[in-house]
Amino acid sequence: MSTEHKHDDDGDGHEHPAAPMVEEITDYEVLEIAVRELAIEHGLFTAEDHRKFTEWAESVGPAAGSRLVAKAWTDPAFKARLLEDGTKACKEVGVDWTEPTGVGTPSDYTNFRVLEDTPTLHHVIVCTLCSCYPRPLLGMSPEWYRSTNYRRRLVRWPREVLTEFGLVLPPEVEVRIEDSNQKCRFMVLPVRPKGTENWTEEQLAAIVTRDCMIGVALPQPGRTEDVHPIHKARRPVQSSSQHGSAAE
Amino acid sequence: MQKDKTVKNDDGHTPARFKVGDRVQVKDMPNIFYTRTQNYVRGAIGTIAARTYQDLIPEDEAFNYDGRLEQYYIVRFRQKDLWEEYPFDSDTLQTELPDRWLEPVRS
Repeated sequence: MSTEHKHDDDGDGHEHPAAPMVEEITDYEVLEIAVRELAIEHGLFTAEDHRKFTEWAESVGPAAGSRLVAKAWTDPAFKARLLEDGTKACKEVGVDWTEPTGVGTPSDYTNFRVLEDTPTLHHVIVCTLCSCYPRPLLGMSPEWYRSTNYRRRLVRWPREVLTEFGLVLPPEVEVRIEDSNQKCRFMVLPVRPKGTENWTEEQLAAIVTRDCMIGVALPQPGRTEDVHPIHKARRPVQSSSQHGSAAE
Repeated sequence: MQKDKTVKNDDGHTPARFKVGDRVQVKDMPNIFYTRTQNYVRGAIGTIAARTYQDLIPEDEAFNYDGRLEQYYIVRFRQKDLWEEYPFDSDTLQTELPDRWLEPVRS
């Protein structure tokens, strides 16, 4: 973590003393490090366990959630089971909320509920207290979901916040915010869009993106990514070589 | 990591006072250090939308206290009842609260 570093453009080449690259660290980061080190010292888990779990947690994406929605759209009996007992139905797409070594979560938070949209009811999910999120199905939450900006504003001005995501709903549609402040975890089951008749489950899953399952976007044919603006480099490095980019 | 929840009382549960459709009001109880009952719902009147599970209240569980298991409910509010001058009539908000944070409302 501490490294010596030299600036290439220092004329005198003086060395900087060893120092952390980050000048400030929050109390919570200190707490996490302290608890983790204590746990490793006491043999609760190893550093290797921690690294593997962190890397796995960061790699889980929303594919299981997309499969769940596609299955509910194509199989009415499954949809009924899903609405009856969400936690149990997740096993049918390979997610066991009670099993910590699979794609489940090692905690008590094993009450999963699906929020079914209709043409006149649109759900959107937030956790105002922290950032509770159905990680076993959707993976890591996006940065904006954890921001105080989203958490404070969605409950107060939901339609304005949704408009910022590009989702404008007519007043006749009821917007229902779910503030997941306890142990239930939620996911939106969007309305199946027009133009997807006779699609396979894979085709349907491809248009059910993470933002659709949080409720800040609607699934549409052709929309297979949560769109983010592309910012071009303002001063791209010009290669001096005639043979293309030196970075290759 | 499932914790063992040792419960003091014989049956271990506080009776669930509400069923789906009941009108309830969120109490504004003092909380020391920790709560999961948001300020913005305190005093608001809503409707029971679902019964979820029984568990310790967050205020006990956070401090590792034993206690009775209580029924948790999803409560639905009209946005117009939560926020002044909220312009859309049909919008609602749901959140989850344990039994003791709710009081019955006479219709």
